[in-house]
Amino acid sequence: MGRLRLRASVCVGPSGAAGSPKRSKSRRRKGPAAVSVEPHRHEGVFIYRGAEDALVTLNMVPGLSVYGERRLTVTENGEKLEYRTWNPFRSKLAAAILGGVDQIHIKPKSKVLYLGAASGTTVSHVSDIIGPDGLVYAVEFSHRAGRDLVNVAKKRTNIIPVLEDARHPLKYRMLIGMVDVIFADVAQPDQSRIVALNAHTFLRNGGHFLISIKANCIDSTASAEAVFASEVKKLQQENLKPQEQLTLEPYERDHAVVVGVYRPLPKSK
Amino acid sequence: MEGKINKQLKKVLKKIVKEAHEPLAVADAKLGGVIKEKLNLSCIHSPIVNELMRGIRSQMDGLIPGVEPREMAAMCLGLAHSLSRYRLKFSADKVDTMIVQAISLLDDLDKELNNYIMRCREWYGWHFPELGKIISDNLTYCKCLQKVGDRKNYASATLSELLPEEVEAEVKAAAEISMGTEVSEEDICNILHLCTQVIEISEYRTQLYEYLQNRMMAIAPNVTVMVGELVGARLIAHAGSLLNLAKHAASTVQILGAEKALFRALKSRRDTPKYGLIYHASLVGQTSPKHKGKISRMLAAKTVLAIRYDAFGEDSSSAMGVENRAKLEARLRSLEDRGIRKISGTGKALAKTEKYEHKSEVKTYDPSGDSTLPTCSKKRKLEQTNKEDEVIEKKAKKSKIKIKVKEEEEEEEEKVIVVEEETSVKKKKKKDKKKHIKEEPVSEEEPCTSTAVPSPEKKKKKKKKKDTED
Repeated sequence: MGRLRLRASVCVGPSGAAGSPKRSKSRRRKGPAAVSVEPHRHEGVFIYRGAEDALVTLNMVPGLSVYGERRLTVTENGEKLEYRTWNPFRSKLAAAILGGVDQIHIKPKSKVLYLGAASGTTVSHVSDIIGPDGLVYAVEFSHRAGRDLVNVAKKRTNIIPVLEDARHPLKYRMLIGMVDVIFADVAQPDQSRIVALNAHTFLRNGGHFLISIKANCIDSTASAEAVFASEVKKLQQENLKPQEQLTLEPYERDHAVVVGVYRPLPKSK
Repeated sequence: MEGKINKQLKKVLKKIVKEAHEPLAVADAKLGGVIKEKLNLSCIHSPIVNELMRGIRSQMDGLIPGVEPREMAAMCLGLAHSLSRYRLKFSADKVDTMIVQAISLLDDLDKELNNYIMRCREWYGWHFPELGKIISDNLTYCKCLQKVGDRKNYASATLSELLPEEVEAEVKAAAEISMGTEVSEEDICNILHLCTQVIEISEYRTQLYEYLQNRMMAIAPNVTVMVGELVGARLIAHAGSLLNLAKHAASTVQILGAEKALFRALKSRRDTPKYGLIYHASLVGQTSPKHKGKISRMLAAKTVLAIRYDAFGEDSSSAMGVENRAKLEARLRSLEDRGIRKISGTGKALAKTEKYEHKSEVKTYDPSGDSTLPTCSKKRKLEQTNKEDEVIEKKAKKSKIKIKVKEEEEEEEEKVIVVEEETSVKKKKKKDKKKHIKEEPVSEEEPCTSTAVPSPEKKKKKKKKKDTED
């Protein structure tokens, strides 16, 4: 289902506005199979069309693979560009994109707060999308994963590693400015509260949020739909207005991604 | 950062805020409390403060003049990295890849060094073969060569600091009557180059070894104490990293390095190897071959604890390793001393084995079947048995055999047996003796038909016999 929508969006939707002219459609005949990279509807994301189609992002650090993923080099107008494949089974964001989410709000030059960064696999792709002018603040509490995250951050200067508990945003308030998007993949039962706290502290008015909800994690006895509905309700109470929700089938089971906007009531200042 | 007031913060607060005499808006409630305590400033913490903070944060770039966003970003990045490092206690000392690389390099160097030395010897051997036979140490050979070069110069050269007197004299003598070929200046030059290389590499090797020792002590002090630097480094290199090594079971660590032998043995259902890389540890080396397997197992068990302590523990002291090593050495000593005796056995085990040996003794000949005389009167027998009750009470297993024997007997014979038992009394268990006693009166009553005394019979057998009699 996701694939179909993708093709439709590529053919019909406006692709001209995507990125700089460098990344426009390139056709390079390589024998019988046409290998090309097309920009996706979302800015900064591309589709690699070759023997198998793949979702790719432009590698900010050419020559290096972050977690052993496949790298693809395509020559375009005489220039060699390297792309890294994005595995939707490992990354919830890729699964959401392939599932056909309307807007991810992560564009080049945006500032992203990533809660639950783990070893930095998806964070590296976000870093590719936002480019060198954007910033992604990667928050991860576990030391083991944090070590890998710091190593990834060493190579990519637009990743700022924060090894703190996301439950206490005040502990890292000196490191983070205001952000445009919050992406949360924390898998904790109180994740709505965590996102709300971080949003109140760091998310600008009119900013967006993407939350990946794992039904088992919140409540393993209730049905998935019930869990998602209750989470959405909790978010609404915190002034986080959800705009779309989609499940991550076939990549994950009982997972959903909720996308919404944040706009607290303006208080007199 | 953690709810405490920094000195600088204190200064700033004292200077600016105290003068202003206004309440301080604080984002962190805890920090606010502390400030209030220490500096007596009234602090406010409310949702309004949060909104204020948001506003400030959004306009941060504009509010602080003269700071470019790029600089801010760079500052944030640097701060974040240093904070993360502090969180992880990330010290460059603790990286174990250094160990893996160093030990691999050490092995490579050894191989190369050996090759070069062999080549050097052979090459120079064409010119002066006797030197190779006289000087066996490689480094000395090269140094000697370097000093002298051509054979003709041996007479004039002084090799006293490299070689002892007699050897030097030998060398000089050999130089006079050598049967090697003549070589030109360039040839000697090249050989000398090679020699220089060899000496350099040798020195580097010693330096690298010291470096390796330092690193091992820094990264894995407990492992170093337990098995030594080289073996520890090899184990880490074999597993890939200290963390990987920590995930292995003790039995795996014991045979790490002997995989070929292990799988060969497993496939052909033979005995698996008892040691791998651990064989080269000093503890295993100093035991006799009989106990190497045992020690290797014990050492592996304790080493694994040390490895895990080093990999996951917070502090880097080697106290635990020292303690364990002392324990192991004590056990080793007791192993060596006692030899035959099991370490895990106790005195009772020892006694038990002895007992068992006694149990398997041969049955004595029972002459009860010899006599065919008619049985004697019952009374006498009863009296006898009563006397012997106490005496017999302390017998053990022998009585079992006796019981069996008894059941077959007739009365007369019992007398004899009773006498025998008396003589062969041993003071051990009571149970069987009681049985024996019970059996005695019963069997005695068998032949007697006119007994008025009812025997205190408890066992069914006896009753049966009585019935048959009657």
